[in-house]
Amino acid sequence: MNAFINIIKDFPRYLWSGWGAIASLFLFLALWDLGNQFNGSLVLPSPQETFIALWQMLHTVEIWTDVAITVERSLWGFVISVVLGGGLGVLAGSFATASIMSRPIITVMMGVPPIAWIILALLWFGVSDGSIIFTLVVASFPIVFVGALQGTRTLEGDLNDMSNSFKTPLLMRLTDVYFPHVFSYIFPASISALGMSWKVVVMSELLASTPTGIGASLAVARSHFDSPVAMALVLIMVIFLLLIEYVFLEPIKREVEQWRN
Amino acid sequence: MEPTNSKLVSTKKLTNEAVEWAYPQGKYPILLAYGFRPFFLLTPIYLTISILLWGLFWSGLLPLSFLENPLEWHLYEMLFGVTSAMMIGFILTAIPELYEGEKPIVGNTLLGLISLWVLGRVSFWFMDWLGVYMVAITNIPLIIWVVFLVAKPILQDPLKRQLSLAILFLVISAMQIWFFVAKIGWLASEPMAILKASVGVFMVLVLLAARRINMEAVNHWLEQNKIDDSYMARPPRYNVAILSVALYTIIEFLYPNNSALSWLAFAVMAAVLNTLNDFFLDEDPVFIRPFIWPLFTMLVMMSLGYGLIGWDYLVPEVYAINHFRHLLTLGSLGMAYFMVLVIVSHLHTGRDFIPSNWIGFGALLILVATILRGIAIPFVGNIASWGYMLSSILWVLPFIGFLIIYGKWLQQPRADGLPG
Repeated sequence: MNAFINIIKDFPRYLWSGWGAIASLFLFLALWDLGNQFNGSLVLPSPQETFIALWQMLHTVEIWTDVAITVERSLWGFVISVVLGGGLGVLAGSFATASIMSRPIITVMMGVPPIAWIILALLWFGVSDGSIIFTLVVASFPIVFVGALQGTRTLEGDLNDMSNSFKTPLLMRLTDVYFPHVFSYIFPASISALGMSWKVVVMSELLASTPTGIGASLAVARSHFDSPVAMALVLIMVIFLLLIEYVFLEPIKREVEQWRN
Repeated sequence: MEPTNSKLVSTKKLTNEAVEWAYPQGKYPILLAYGFRPFFLLTPIYLTISILLWGLFWSGLLPLSFLENPLEWHLYEMLFGVTSAMMIGFILTAIPELYEGEKPIVGNTLLGLISLWVLGRVSFWFMDWLGVYMVAITNIPLIIWVVFLVAKPILQDPLKRQLSLAILFLVISAMQIWFFVAKIGWLASEPMAILKASVGVFMVLVLLAARRINMEAVNHWLEQNKIDDSYMARPPRYNVAILSVALYTIIEFLYPNNSALSWLAFAVMAAVLNTLNDFFLDEDPVFIRPFIWPLFTMLVMMSLGYGLIGWDYLVPEVYAINHFRHLLTLGSLGMAYFMVLVIVSHLHTGRDFIPSNWIGFGALLILVATILRGIAIPFVGNIASWGYMLSSILWVLPFIGFLIIYGKWLQQPRADGLPG
């Protein structure tokens, strides 16, 4: 509860500190604008054209439905990855043998590009939400798994001995000793996993030729040569990811990782 | 000739920490006893006259018939006449304080500097009669002379802490030379475009000065009120702001009306807002405190000015960039003038800096005048006729107040009996 109050209390100041990032993004927009001036709107629509397309798009019902569907798929993939990756990672981390054995398998999984997974998933499960979510899980799960494994492996033996000698109750040991340490590994890994699932979901939608989702809208924009709409869709994805990462996850991360200082 | 001997005297910095500085031996008229005295006495007088004349002219009440190009006169004199004098007064006063053992510029040298400044002002007023060459000869040497006078301690400092200020002074001098070269016709550049670009250079000056003044002022306040916290103006934040201003200014000069300018202006807005993060301390909301809020507002106005300029480029129908530019000049520069005048005149006349209601009121007048001139006039119909005059009057009032309250301090010996 205290952590939550702290997050809320520091939130305005945290938000204001974002102006530095916004300044860099505006400089990037200026560069983008120059790119438009050199290449023309067909190749690279100007930021202004893109924002206008985005504004018009946001006034349609379809885009909200598409966004909702994509968010839902991506969240499913993400949640399954975190639960599965976190659980199995902690389990594997608790036993030296399991961690040694699981490492090569995870390396193989991470070595297979997501684009290959989606093709396999389409062959196995056909065009369905299941194929997309499967691809998301296999692409993001190893990231969380490795984080959880490392977190568990690096738990300090001294702290464990100390809590043993003080006969610390299991619950307290879990919440005050193990959890903060393991969480500080799982949390950043989850943020990476979220980024991964968000990127992969759109790619999977596009490749799987699903009729719905942002990926499907992107495919339509491509077939119509509608660059402003395509850029606007890209922008929606980026804005969503930035919002989730910097408005929700980063403040939590700062609060949870405070013990490191 | 200045006497070469010096004696060490002890005095107080803004932070109340005792420092030793050298003062040249000899007796000097009070007005020539320290760099800020003549400059800070004459500049507010000159600024008041110029702005009131400008207000009368712009409201159509008074023709400035002796000037061929009144707009050029207004811009040049506000930037290279008024702001240069402020920065010269500031640097001449700051250098002996920043570098221990460095003697202040006093006596004949100071008389030479202030005389050259006065000559520069008079000559510009009568440029149509004297000719551009004459005006250039009287205007250009002043800043270069000042840089020459302060260069030694700045270059000898192993950390080169004040080098950015010295370089900026040279850039300002280069802009001035460029203006005259264009005016003579040796270069095809538009003199007005050079003056507009100079506004950007002076905004960098405000940022560099703000970084130094804010550190001193905020920490002084924290110490005075026994608050266990400290203010740190983080250089990377200011560097991003300076880089953004520089990019905006260069692109605006080379490619006026380019669509990328809107994003660059927004980048400046965001980067300047980012510098405000330094003010958000854990222990105290310092940015609402007396004499600190004007420093905070100085940056807010710069940010708002660039934000509105960016919006103007994005939506051409707004068409009010020249109005919005006043948030930078009247607002940000004006607030910087006022705060520098007030803070320096307190401390360097041997008085402890205690915030008074009057300072807050003066800063508020500058804020109101800026909002009227920069935002209300372009957006509210039918107020232009009296709005120009009213904003001019409101804006000069704090400076008239300064002359009434502090004018006599500038002409009297230090209250603590120390030389200077």
